[in-house]
Amino acid sequence: MGGAERTARKRKQTTQAARAVAAARGGNDRRNVIIGVVIVVVMAVAVIGGVLYTRNNSTSGGAGDIPVTTAHAQYPTKVEDDGTVVAGNDAAKVTVDVYEDFLCPACGSFEKIYGEQVEKAVADGKIKVRYHILNLLDRYSNPAGYSLEAANAAIAAASTGKFPDFHASLFANQPKEGGKGYTQDQLVKLGQAVGISGGDFEAAVRGGKYNEQIKKQLDAASNNPALQRESAQGKSFGTPTITVNGTMIDLQDGDWLKKAIEQSGQG
Amino acid sequence: MVKPLLSVRRYPRRVAKPMAVGMPARWPVGDLLGTLVRFGLAAVWLVSGTLKAADPEKTYLAVQAFRLLPDALAGPVAAALPFVELGLGVLVLFGVGTRVVAVLSCLVLLAFVTGIAQAWARGLSIDCGCFGGGGEVAPGQTRYPQELARDAGFLALAVWLVVRPRSLLSVDGWLGVGRRTPAGDDGDDRDEPVPAET
Repeated sequence: MGGAERTARKRKQTTQAARAVAAARGGNDRRNVIIGVVIVVVMAVAVIGGVLYTRNNSTSGGAGDIPVTTAHAQYPTKVEDDGTVVAGNDAAKVTVDVYEDFLCPACGSFEKIYGEQVEKAVADGKIKVRYHILNLLDRYSNPAGYSLEAANAAIAAASTGKFPDFHASLFANQPKEGGKGYTQDQLVKLGQAVGISGGDFEAAVRGGKYNEQIKKQLDAASNNPALQRESAQGKSFGTPTITVNGTMIDLQDGDWLKKAIEQSGQG
Repeated sequence: MVKPLLSVRRYPRRVAKPMAVGMPARWPVGDLLGTLVRFGLAAVWLVSGTLKAADPEKTYLAVQAFRLLPDALAGPVAAALPFVELGLGVLVLFGVGTRVVAVLSCLVLLAFVTGIAQAWARGLSIDCGCFGGGGEVAPGQTRYPQELARDAGFLALAVWLVVRPRSLLSVDGWLGVGRRTPAGDDGDDRDEPVPAET
């Protein structure tokens, strides 16, 4: 290829390029609009589609009825003015205080491991249990607030005498922490399913009848030095916390309840 | 005849810069680096978005752990965040509107950095949940300096693309953004016009 030929070719290319540039410049605005539209569409499809997909696939909480799980034993309950649910015979020699939250996974484990023993001991009259149901994890359901609603509903169930099954059902079918939790509708239906009749229960669930007591109990428990556990960040209160006759017990000890009953001379 | 006039006016200005620094008109090495940066940032977004989308409950807990948003906002933010990341990842991967998407990436990363920094400053003990997981951790197990350093690295990738969005293998290149020809850059300059030398 000769030099002149190359120069000619280059010139031709250059003019072609100039024309192409002219075309591209002319289309600049349109191209930017197209790119802008693509960005907006991709982001909108990703976010809207993703959120809808997640919502439809969210199993936690579920939209259906909460299955009824029958307690291992039935026992009487009454509700004190401060919202404490007292289970069993007042004259029982051993008093167990249980601080729990219906959203707390460790409380779910506590109920799975010790629920049966506790319920049977209460029904046998060997112990009485004071349930302090708290809203410690209110922020950790999505939407927030399941802890409080479940606690309120359980106390309302206790005032009708149907606490054992209601309590067992909510722990056996515990929603995931960070999940949806159950709605008031679902809590009301569970109440009906465990045999609560009449409108008082529904009114209590929807009206948050025990909310103030629950919040006060949480404040009191959090600030009670006797309920603080040692951890790396200093002392703090957490759920579940269990005391026997006022002394905090170590849940690593699988025989804590047996020992407490033996020590009270009931073998 | 407006169009040719316009092109005549603009054409030399566009090519003046690479000539002035004595580099080839195309900076193929810079474009190649830009591609690597783009793929790196895309990988960050796609991986972190996927991990977050796979466990929405954990993602919500991680957002709540920062104690920055009111409860009513935490839910929507946690729901949208994984898919914002995935969307940015896809756009960066294909190189669509690279500069705009890089600016958006910077904003999201700056929000993360702010969140981590305020958690550290307030003495919260949390894991940032940057790649899924997250939430509260034992006080001895926070890793704020590492998390901030990592995010600063990601931020550097995004800033690179804001400053110099041009790269090989991109939709932008294919559409001719910032180029003298509408044809895409195949990384080979030999068959492309060499302007301004004649």
